[in-house]
Amino acid sequence: MSAIAIVSSFADDAECAHAIEQLRVAQVGDFNTFSPIPSHRIEHAIGKKKSPVRWIVLAGGISGILTGLAITIGTTYEWRLNAGGKPLLSWPPFIIICFELMVLLGGISGFTSVLALARIPTAEIAPGYNGRFGEDRFGIVVHCDEEQAERIESMMKEAGAEEVVREGV
Amino acid sequence: MAAAPKINTEPTFRDIDRSVLRVMEPAGLAYWAWIGFCFTLVGIGAAFWAHQIYAGLGVTGLRQPVMWAIYITNFVFWVGIAHSGTLISAILFLFRTKWRTAVYRAAETMTIFAVATAGLFPLIHLGRVWFFYWLLPYPNERYLQPDFRSPLVWDAFAVSTYLTTSALFWTMGLIPDIANAREAASGWRRKFYTVLAMGWQGTDRQWRHYSMAYLLLAGLATPLVLSVHSVVSWDFAMAQLPGWHSTIFAPYFVAGAIFSGVAMVVTLLIPMRRMLGIQDLLTEWHFDNLAKVILLTSLVVTYSYVTESFMTWYSGDPIEQMTFHMRYFGPWGPLFWMMVLCNCLIPLLLFSPRIRVNLVALWIISIFINIGMWLERFVIIAGSLRVNFEPSQWGTYHVTITEIMITVGAFAWFLGLFSLFSRFLPIISMTELKEGIVWLRKALKMDRVKAA
Repeated sequence: MSAIAIVSSFADDAECAHAIEQLRVAQVGDFNTFSPIPSHRIEHAIGKKKSPVRWIVLAGGISGILTGLAITIGTTYEWRLNAGGKPLLSWPPFIIICFELMVLLGGISGFTSVLALARIPTAEIAPGYNGRFGEDRFGIVVHCDEEQAERIESMMKEAGAEEVVREGV
Repeated sequence: MAAAPKINTEPTFRDIDRSVLRVMEPAGLAYWAWIGFCFTLVGIGAAFWAHQIYAGLGVTGLRQPVMWAIYITNFVFWVGIAHSGTLISAILFLFRTKWRTAVYRAAETMTIFAVATAGLFPLIHLGRVWFFYWLLPYPNERYLQPDFRSPLVWDAFAVSTYLTTSALFWTMGLIPDIANAREAASGWRRKFYTVLAMGWQGTDRQWRHYSMAYLLLAGLATPLVLSVHSVVSWDFAMAQLPGWHSTIFAPYFVAGAIFSGVAMVVTLLIPMRRMLGIQDLLTEWHFDNLAKVILLTSLVVTYSYVTESFMTWYSGDPIEQMTFHMRYFGPWGPLFWMMVLCNCLIPLLLFSPRIRVNLVALWIISIFINIGMWLERFVIIAGSLRVNFEPSQWGTYHVTITEIMITVGAFAWFLGLFSLFSRFLPIISMTELKEGIVWLRKALKMDRVKAA
């Protein structure tokens, strides 16, 4: 169990990404970052896989199409209305309903999957969080034990951290 | 050649937060008086609607053959207004257009409230509003179901999907900004923003999933926005009525929707930037680009008018030709020519770079476009209905006080909601503005953008 959180703040994402690369080279894995804007540099430096949200949205979209088909075909057979002698299952207009439901369920699944995967709503404040990380500073919080602390602090300073603070967890 | 509009790359991230959050500080008496005025008009409109529900649709001017008039005109007008919000927030996001960052939140907010206003009108238009759910498929004892071949059913699905998806997209964009507001607020406001921010802290995990979902929602919203106004246009084009039954209606309505919507964004933003003191964030550069979108879509709309008229002449169909003759030279002809003036001729002034950055002139032009686009819908809807196939069926339409007051109430409803939002939630996206500033500075370094 990590006893210490080392909170470093950076003025821009390039320095922050550089510090993350240094941490990965040093095989320090227990860290997380905060940033005011989404940064591709930080994302690449962390090197995690692409978000699975895309598969959830795809599944939501496909289920929307299937729901559209089920509703339109199902209700047509339930209420057999002869409109101008057209075939009962005149399907081209059903594409519109399927399209709208694809977007609707794809959108809802995208939104709800972000809530689930990003673990929000939450009342919990992550260790080391500081309001300035939402404003204009990029932060790295490294969880480590007493022996590693000094080495990590100097690594962060070398990478360009403006401020490095040690917090007990 | 006129100088390029000024691009402001000076603000730091902190300046952006301060400027946007300053707008959200407690408002003065004048603001609350305005809100009170808007919602008083909403109350009056609601009272007229209540009277209409009690007395029946006879209190409106709707008579055979003009059974669709101001209410449906308002519906199409407000759905159209909504479109520019999604264009700016989703389509221009996919194209990585940087000028959108300062205006997209206001435009998207306009979308939400415009669709919420538009959605009222099919309900108001119903004689027995309490049966509105008959448009939706639901299990019932008579096995009675809506006809999915009807454009009105497509419309119910399209508009409700549009409202839901836009609201989700808008809410997602707001979350990081509300977290910023939470950090700066105190007292009950801090509690309010803490609940709305849902615990957002900008961690790498949160951004990773957020960015992917935002991109995908933009990808879903892009075809959606094109489909919604196409479906609205099919409410007319699928009918056999001369003046409605045309294959160009879908692209014609989509272009008109973006045209009117961007004009409404300009109408709202020019006074708002002054009242809220955000001239540093909303600069001439943004308005110059909005004016270019207006100019482009005005030309598309003009081309559509010409194509529609040409096809009527070329078809050789005397009934269609008579409808268009009455549209140009009949008793309502002045409405058509006013529409041409507002939508085709006045926007040509925007070819001048000086006028594009003259905000007073641009605001006046945007008002003309709003009027012109409302008239366009009225001319198409009521104008085509009054001149039916047989001259013996022809009739006319006289507006009543009920329709006027409900329309005024709807405009007040939209303005009141928009004004409330602009004070309580971030009307400019701090996150996207910061991203835009980072990009602009990089571009300036690479000499890709000339700053004045």
